[in-house]
Amino acid sequence: MKRFSLLAIALLMSVGTASAASWMDSVDDRADALATQLKGNNSYHAHLARELADVAMEEKSQHDISVARAFMAKAEENAAQAGGSK
Amino acid sequence: MKRIVLLAACASITACSGHIASTQVSPLDDVRAMIQKAKDAGAEKCAPALQAKAVAGMYHAAHELDEGSANPASENDDLISSALSNAKKAYAKAKKGCKKPAPEVITLEGVFFETNKADLTASSTATLDRAVKTLQKRPNINVEVAAHTDSRGKASYNLDLSNRRAASVMDYLVAHGVAASRLSSKGYGETQPRADNATVQGRAKNRRVELRIK
Repeated sequence: MKRFSLLAIALLMSVGTASAASWMDSVDDRADALATQLKGNNSYHAHLARELADVAMEEKSQHDISVARAFMAKAEENAAQAGGSK
Repeated sequence: MKRIVLLAACASITACSGHIASTQVSPLDDVRAMIQKAKDAGAEKCAPALQAKAVAGMYHAAHELDEGSANPASENDDLISSALSNAKKAYAKAKKGCKKPAPEVITLEGVFFETNKADLTASSTATLDRAVKTLQKRPNINVEVAAHTDSRGKASYNLDLSNRRAASVMDYLVAHGVAASRLSSKGYGETQPRADNATVQGRAKNRRVELRIK
């Protein structure tokens, strides 16, 4: 029982680093959504969001999913600052 | 022993939950400094794509460095040198300054005034009516009506005359359906000649009215 508790706590801590949506959605889906959101936007934050999403996809291709999610979260932060499509 | 293994497993799960490594590490000192220099020079506005590549490259390099021996040193070096190169390019571009595109100017050929007055001649209406149509076709643009004189006479007189002529043209456009909120008028007198004021032809070219799209 103690073992299960410890594992459950560890998993919850892991989940807590990402939003519910980002945990559920795949990195690919989020990259697609980001690309659509930033269509035609050439601001610095839009470019940075796209670059970080590219890094996320590269990490994902190397099966480093947790890092891919972290880069995608940062990409999404910048996309929000970019203010969407223009 | 079992407890230790279990704790290690738990710690491992938590550690692998994903984070972006700190960029405050010595191998990235030059990249950080150049990115900041480029930012201070205005790269986020003047060279947004290059600056973004540099910053994303720095984060990527930080992550790879954080993984330590898992990556070949050459791969990390490539990431760092690429980020530095992009930051340098962004700085160079920003240092040159943001080049603003030249504003669109429509010269209203055929707009004339009575000598030393702001009254439009009858022959000017055809040109102005075409200008009205153009502005109605492009409802999203605002324009400044800019009037110019040649250099004969006093500069202060020419400035005043050009102000009145610009206002006269604006009044015509408003009277024929262009929203006043889209227009402004300004006289430039003899300050912006586009031809030689020493010749009759040059002076004729300098006396003109333009629509400057904002």
